[in-house]
Amino acid sequence: MAHITLNQYLQQVLESIDNREGDSCAELVSFKHPHVANRRLQLASPEEKCQQILEPPYDEMVAAHLRCTFAVANHDFIEAYKYQTIVVQYPLALPIMYAVALDLRIFANNADQQLTKKGKGKMGDMLEKAAELLMSCFRVCASDNRAGIDDSKKWGMLFLINQLFKIYFKINKLHLCKPLIRAIDSSNLKDEYSMAQRVTYKYYVGRKAMFDSDFKQAEEYLSFAFEHCHRSSQKNKRMILIYLLPVKMLLGQMPTVQLLRKYDLLQFSDVTKAVSEGNLLLLNEALTKHEIFFIRCGIFLILEKLKIITYRNLFKKVYLLLKTHQLPLDAFLVALKFMQVEDVDIDEVQCILANLIYVGQIKGYISHQHQKLVVSKQNPFPPLSSVC
Amino acid sequence: MTSGRGRRWGRGPGTADPPLGTCGHMCPERERTDRERQRRLHRFEVLSGTERDSLPAADPQKAVKEYSRPAAGRETPRPEDLRPPDVLFQTVAYLVDRVVPRQDVCWGEVYGYVFDRLRSVRQDMTVQRIGGKLCVAVLERTLRFLLYASYRLRGEPPQVFDPDINSVHTQECFSWLLETYRLGDYDSEAEFQSLFILYNLGSMKALHYALLLSDHIRDSPCMKSALAVNRAFTEGNYVRFFRLCRRLPFLASCALHRHIGHSRRCLIRIFSHGFSSRNCRYPLERLVDLLAADDWDSVVELCQKHGVTVTNKMVGFQKANYKELGPLSDGPSHVLVGHKQGDITVSAIIHGN
Repeated sequence: MAHITLNQYLQQVLESIDNREGDSCAELVSFKHPHVANRRLQLASPEEKCQQILEPPYDEMVAAHLRCTFAVANHDFIEAYKYQTIVVQYPLALPIMYAVALDLRIFANNADQQLTKKGKGKMGDMLEKAAELLMSCFRVCASDNRAGIDDSKKWGMLFLINQLFKIYFKINKLHLCKPLIRAIDSSNLKDEYSMAQRVTYKYYVGRKAMFDSDFKQAEEYLSFAFEHCHRSSQKNKRMILIYLLPVKMLLGQMPTVQLLRKYDLLQFSDVTKAVSEGNLLLLNEALTKHEIFFIRCGIFLILEKLKIITYRNLFKKVYLLLKTHQLPLDAFLVALKFMQVEDVDIDEVQCILANLIYVGQIKGYISHQHQKLVVSKQNPFPPLSSVC
Repeated sequence: MTSGRGRRWGRGPGTADPPLGTCGHMCPERERTDRERQRRLHRFEVLSGTERDSLPAADPQKAVKEYSRPAAGRETPRPEDLRPPDVLFQTVAYLVDRVVPRQDVCWGEVYGYVFDRLRSVRQDMTVQRIGGKLCVAVLERTLRFLLYASYRLRGEPPQVFDPDINSVHTQECFSWLLETYRLGDYDSEAEFQSLFILYNLGSMKALHYALLLSDHIRDSPCMKSALAVNRAFTEGNYVRFFRLCRRLPFLASCALHRHIGHSRRCLIRIFSHGFSSRNCRYPLERLVDLLAADDWDSVVELCQKHGVTVTNKMVGFQKANYKELGPLSDGPSHVLVGHKQGDITVSAIIHGN
């Protein structure tokens, strides 16, 4: 396969089209397939040859694909992207569309890097243009109402949405996800797509819910993704966990060290320990230590929210130590100072406590006259899972 | 067909060289004579002595190109109607130095005029695709103007000052400026990054953007204090929040001003729950201090609006009585904002001196 001639290659394409073999045709225009490394196919102007053997529009599409392999062989992703945009504009069979849409996104990403290096244009420009093209593919799919449901291009919607999500997350335009989510929510195929596609979809929708501070939703989607992700895809499971862990922690569920070790996520172990122990000092240290990792994953700000739970756990310790229902505020001040909270005073202690009472993590009230926190005799620190 | 479509993604008309302006005045001659004839000169632009004439004349030293909405079918601007970078900067300097300080008219009118003329400066920059230092200088002054105005004109009727429109323009200028910062090194970047955080307090998006900035920006004193304010705000530690706000400089306080009222109401809300007791009282004096309020009366009013009783200078928080309210208009904040201006002139503030 790797060394076939142009004629042989075009014959194979022709055959796959004539025999309606979408999957093999898809391979012949995919960069996952070894033919792209075949020097004999990497041509600067294959148009004429393609026209001789293939019917329109296949001739043009395959010619553009071959010019693309030529550009990739020369490491020119700006050119490669340009030709791939021609390849994707033909609404062909879904397997072919999957293959070429995937390559389009990858080339756009590489083209972005090359353009930025040259100082022409800024990061994300090409990806944004690629998203526009994928959107037009999406429109073709979403509006395919004439074909029977088995043959409908609507089956291509979720794949395209997942590709678009990848782009929107990369260029930080999460608001563009909304209409896509709506399209899937209102689709009667939403539970019928392949599990792999549904897992990817839930992963992105879960991440979006997390950024919108909708943690219950985020937990639901990300848990689905984690539980249904194929067991051999350890890397993907790890990626899901990076977002599922903080969400679970915010809802009061801490991961075990075994789990963290299994998925090579020990960056979370100190955070987990700090939150469970109410150790504010350790929490700050852990966040600073792995700051780059957490920021790159986009979860630093979510993890900062764990501070409130850490306060609660610290104050619960104070309560357990003093064994009384009328707790002097000074005791909390001492605890915070012990954790090296910068210039904290009794007014701030009151505010932090009032906040915990307001969100339901402590049952009780503060008496300013007596400088005491009076906690409920029953269950003054309700379990987090019942509060959040 | 195919090649045509392919070309759309390559070099299209959008990548052609931008036009370069040749207009040497703040207002192109054609527009000046047109508006003169149509009697559409602003009174700030009339040649002195001709105000009472049947057709007041334009003063070329004062007339400034107005903003006109780009519409479909409108021809691309002629070079003589576009002001080159140096004229654009002179225009901004004229507006800031000569119009902004005017005391003879109400400041709402000054705002309306300067707002429109700065918008036309941005329009000329867009058409000519001007970036770099000049762009940064114009956007920074525009932002300082908009932020200052948002404080000074708060509570004015919408025909004088519309906070929503002002906010839309402020955000647009911020995103343009922050985008421009990515392409070069500018001394004032840290200041404006911190203003962006304070203006968009509590916004995950703004904060996430800030996390990705280079270390020397993130570690600058103004950025550190903005991030600390933001952290106190998102944690719900409003006591710390108001303490930190007291220490912010004037313009930063203007940027933050629109969150003050909301934060005060949040503090009342969490205190209503945290201190909820029939028998306990909280001293009003302390609450006034925590809220960094200008006077006792405004705090009493705020409490009563939320169903919190105040008797004998003592506050009785009870969560059962607490009433949630819709958005309220924010009053002045002399302690947190106003007094910080000191005796610096508005022009100096906008120039960033």
